[in-house]
Amino acid sequence: MFDFVKLWDNSFYAMAIILFLIGFWVMLTHSNLIKKVIGMNIMETAIFLFFVAIGYVNQGSAPILGREGVTFVNPLPSALILTGIVVSVSITAFALALIIKLHSYYGTVDADEIAQLRRISDDSE
Amino acid sequence: MIVNNLPALIVVVPLFGTYLTLMLGVKHRKSSSKIALVSTGLLVVFTGFLAAMVAKNGEVFYHFGGWNPPWGIEFVIDRISAFFLLIVSSIGFLIVVFGSGTLESEVKPKIIHYYYALFLVLIASLIAISASNDIFNIYVFLEISSVAAAALVAVQGNKLSIEASVKYLILSTLGSGAFLFAIANIYMVTGHLNLSFIASKLPEAFSLYPLNVLASLGLVLVGLTIKAALYPLHVWLPDAHGSAPTTSSAILSGLVVKVYIIVFIKIIFRVLPPEYLNKVPLEFSLLLMSTLGIFIGSILAMRQKDIKKMLAYSTVAQVGYIFLGIGLLTYNGLIGSLLHILNHAIMKSMLFLSAGIIIKLTGRRRVDSLNGIGRVYPLPMIAFSLGALSMVGIPPLNGFVSKWYLGLGALDGGQVFYVIVLLVSSFLNGLYYLPIVIRAFFGPDSGIQKPESLSVGVSLSLIILSVSTVFFGFFSSIPLEYLAPAVSALFGL
Repeated sequence: MFDFVKLWDNSFYAMAIILFLIGFWVMLTHSNLIKKVIGMNIMETAIFLFFVAIGYVNQGSAPILGREGVTFVNPLPSALILTGIVVSVSITAFALALIIKLHSYYGTVDADEIAQLRRISDDSE
Repeated sequence: MIVNNLPALIVVVPLFGTYLTLMLGVKHRKSSSKIALVSTGLLVVFTGFLAAMVAKNGEVFYHFGGWNPPWGIEFVIDRISAFFLLIVSSIGFLIVVFGSGTLESEVKPKIIHYYYALFLVLIASLIAISASNDIFNIYVFLEISSVAAAALVAVQGNKLSIEASVKYLILSTLGSGAFLFAIANIYMVTGHLNLSFIASKLPEAFSLYPLNVLASLGLVLVGLTIKAALYPLHVWLPDAHGSAPTTSSAILSGLVVKVYIIVFIKIIFRVLPPEYLNKVPLEFSLLLMSTLGIFIGSILAMRQKDIKKMLAYSTVAQVGYIFLGIGLLTYNGLIGSLLHILNHAIMKSMLFLSAGIIIKLTGRRRVDSLNGIGRVYPLPMIAFSLGALSMVGIPPLNGFVSKWYLGLGALDGGQVFYVIVLLVSSFLNGLYYLPIVIRAFFGPDSGIQKPESLSVGVSLSLIILSVSTVFFGFFSSIPLEYLAPAVSALFGL
């Protein structure tokens, strides 16, 4: 019998993996480049959620020293993920800038249409 | 003081060079290439010194900010990373020397200081990735390298390169996403980010949570093979390497794809306990992917009409060789793939640089249009031919040596099939490289009347690279003896 209690206890991880798969699917199956970037972001957010969930302790509070009898959450994953968020923002910005440039060349942001346009221009050469 | 802080300085020097190029480049455009030259030159000295230090005193440890691991970030420079650091800095230096003569013709003069800034950031990230012993630190520099590399592809701003850059950026983000997911899994079960501490905790974690460890291994494999362009995850490489400016193609093909292989070697051999190597289906998947990569890369390279695209597909095949050596899991196999990292870095950057200068001088990119070029421009074409012959694996050039060790590794593992793979693929390499060489030297006249002269930087870098192709063919014992203790330690010999 599938262990639903265990799944409920690990619901953060389960959600993160579902989100990761959604992002992955969007990234691989959609030909619209903007949607690809959105999928990329969903995927990265899922990983961030997964990472931060590692540090979560039930009923834990912020790790401020000098207090007695309080359980702390692990602050390290959150600190790491701050870096991860910065990286992901800069990659998104760069990808969008490149897509704007592509749009100015081809008038579309659809990867399939761009490939088609390229094939036409290759044939005419 | 400098000696104690060398591991940090090798990252700081190119980063500082980046700031200088950006600040001074606005007013004095000419200065940026000199700054790049000086900082990569300094790097060669520093990494050479480090490599000698590692050979003399053993591994060099550096703890950032005085925080000891597992709390602080640690750099560990062992023989393998010192070897790779020296490759990065010397090839990077030679590429900058080359670029000082020709870059203006490919990149708009207005943005040339940005180009050098990106180049130096890329070098810094490559160095930090190979020196770092902290897995999250590796991830951050991995992302820096993928942004910088994608920007180096897009820098010309034409249709092809922008498209290639988008593809590269999206796929390499997928790769680093997978790598971060792997880090999350590893951190979850071991509670450490430092590779040495992970290694000590992993046996226990493996028995308690085998699924997490297996998942993270799979994710590391996928993430790093996307970035290293192992078949079938190579789809971004031919476009990116084929449409980038010459110097970018050289550094991307010569160095950037290899750094991920170094990370892979670190994780597979240093972190994973040796007795677990056989419990995961790693060997099978690596050997299958690399064999397919060797063949399909070569076959696709044969079909290319554009010379740079052909070289890019050849990189796919050569990455296959390197992973083949890792997948064999034998001493000689790993030695072979490490040697191939060095030799391919030399050969491929030389091939890209000479092809780039030929394209610039003649305007011909098509493989079948290079008739008689060798008689007009002897130096670039001789460099190209040396690289091509070395790719095919003709003794005494360096490409032969690494293939020899890969073959020995296959025999040690009792897998004769892979010796046949090596032989057949060398034949395939010959099929697409040799016609170019033959056409260039013995083909009909090119119709080029007065050849332009090569600039000093171009000739100098091509000569040094050609000489080192021959040098490392004859004196392959130098890198071999340097690597031997580290590799035998990895295999517990």
